[in-house]
Amino acid sequence: MIRGWTGKRLRIDLSLQKAWSEDIDQADLNQWFGGRGLNAFFFSQQLQSPVSPSSPENPIAFAVGPLTGTLAPCSGWTSIASFSPLSNPPGYAFTRMPGHFGAQLKWAGFDQCILQGKADRPVYLLIEGGMVKFETAGSLWGKETTETAVALQEEKGDRSMEILCIGPAGEKQVPFANVIHRLSWTGDHLGLGYLFGVKQLKAIAIRGKKPVTLHDSRRFLNLCLNLKDHIQKDRKISRLKEEGTFSLIGQDGEIMRKTEGRWFPSGSDKQWTAAYRKSYFSGKEGCFSCPVHCGRITQHPESYFGGIHLGKAWALGPQIGVYDWEWTLKLHRFCQAQGLDPFATGSLLALIMKGIEDRSCSEEGLDHIYDLLESGEKAYAILHWILNGGGDKFRFEIPPAFGNEDLDVLGDIISFCPLVVNRLNSMTVSNIIDLVYAATAYSLSEREPKNIVSNILQMESLLQNKEAFRNDASSRARLVDYPINEILIKEERNRESIGYEDAS
Amino acid sequence: MNLISVQSDLCTGCQSCEIVCSLAHEGSCNPSFSRIQIKKWEEISVFVPIICQHCENPPCITTCPTRARTRVCETGAVVTDEKRCVGCKSCLYACPYNAPVIHPITKRTMTCDLCNGQPLCTQVCTTRALSSTLDGNLSMEKRRAFGQMILHSMKLR
Repeated sequence: MIRGWTGKRLRIDLSLQKAWSEDIDQADLNQWFGGRGLNAFFFSQQLQSPVSPSSPENPIAFAVGPLTGTLAPCSGWTSIASFSPLSNPPGYAFTRMPGHFGAQLKWAGFDQCILQGKADRPVYLLIEGGMVKFETAGSLWGKETTETAVALQEEKGDRSMEILCIGPAGEKQVPFANVIHRLSWTGDHLGLGYLFGVKQLKAIAIRGKKPVTLHDSRRFLNLCLNLKDHIQKDRKISRLKEEGTFSLIGQDGEIMRKTEGRWFPSGSDKQWTAAYRKSYFSGKEGCFSCPVHCGRITQHPESYFGGIHLGKAWALGPQIGVYDWEWTLKLHRFCQAQGLDPFATGSLLALIMKGIEDRSCSEEGLDHIYDLLESGEKAYAILHWILNGGGDKFRFEIPPAFGNEDLDVLGDIISFCPLVVNRLNSMTVSNIIDLVYAATAYSLSEREPKNIVSNILQMESLLQNKEAFRNDASSRARLVDYPINEILIKEERNRESIGYEDAS
Repeated sequence: MNLISVQSDLCTGCQSCEIVCSLAHEGSCNPSFSRIQIKKWEEISVFVPIICQHCENPPCITTCPTRARTRVCETGAVVTDEKRCVGCKSCLYACPYNAPVIHPITKRTMTCDLCNGQPLCTQVCTTRALSSTLDGNLSMEKRRAFGQMILHSMKLR
């Protein structure tokens, strides 16, 4: 019996309105582990050539690791992969999302979820009790993200449900739209909102009630308690806990470099963070099973509360020359409600605002922005202009947001927090090996994680190499002889559907 | 006797307490197997842990038709005797908090047993939304906190 993992992959085809589950072999799990590894494995097995992000065949893959949904500290992340509209030319891209979605996916009984096809009308997916239901999202279409989440939860009468949804930006297929859940946690850098919009998928509502079984639960409990204790006592972590992700500003210069010293006078970062703490900080928010809680709940005069993270606030603040927190929060709130990726939005805003500053930007509809004095107001007006189709002309590529250091990838395949594992080094490889053994009874040697990581990096570089994919899976060659729609139908005939219900 | 003191304004909704409870009692991880339940209102970022308060005069003990709800002498915890419980849910209706949880498999009720005096949920709660306090100190701590609030507002004036 598989422990830790569930050994199941959920396949959903929106065109056929069918869902079925596939088994993932234990050997594949041992080789690719989970998260980013499983996603790369799936893409290399199932696709021979890259597909366009706007085509229905483009799969969106969500995957979690063997420790997701358990007590393992900081295990609340989900890996997501697809062909992204934000890479140029559109190619294989992957990202990770913090929060609670991955844990629910695991409890629903799956290690991986693949979305393919395109619905003929706006729909949302309800994954609950071993069933996948395709329900009409007519009344939800056009709603902001918060409204969507609350409306869905109220309709189903289950507030414990996790809702992953897109906002109006995703519906309009803005390339840098994102998906959001619990208001605070977003899947950025991938254009996921665009991909959902193309598939006419408004939201995924998920509620899992299956427990994650473990090999040695007593030992696992003790390991987790010790590790949580250790993480809590770490000095860097306690700083992160006290100040949120604000503590990382200027520490290693990463965020400072992004601004290229153009906008931000040195030393004023402290003032900027202090202003937030003084006037807007109202509480903390944490990912699933996290002892750190670096999310911040913000209180705004317009009675708005919600998660905020430094990176996003920075992208919509000093990075675009807005120092006034009022405007930053207003922009942040707008991005949150519309479902826009704050990082990409920040980059685009910076580009346009610079253009306006040097008077080199001569787009139509931007005339009135020249007269605005305050930079925040300018940014807000430009954002509206972009959302109404003004920014279509701008083509830009988002550089990969994450490093490929071994620890980073290792964190990703187990779905651990990259901040804790890689950035602050609060967890060692041997900690991870112990946890994995106690959970799955699969014992890794000290060297093995390195091999797994290098395999995955190799696979990803092949996938990202736009010329050709690796095609050494000769046993499955017959699959790639057909266009993907046909493959789906073939497979679907062979397998039992795990649930199918048409709302109409 | 140790009690679990709940301060819901400090809760961040990380669900660690739910998972440690389910892991320690059931050996597997899922919040529906947990004796503590977090209720969330994510649009206003409010998270409220709901857990048995081990009342002084527990309505669940009074209502239980099979006398399955009893108080454990050593820890002071009010627990369900699984052999006697028939899953009628009377305790659930009688409880002002709706704290008893229906076990998804056995369908009998379960509530916090204070982990034999050392509640694990208070160990994993790093924001101290859940903390283990002596019965007598509970009111004292809350009063002190309230007093400090008044003191603070007086100083501000």
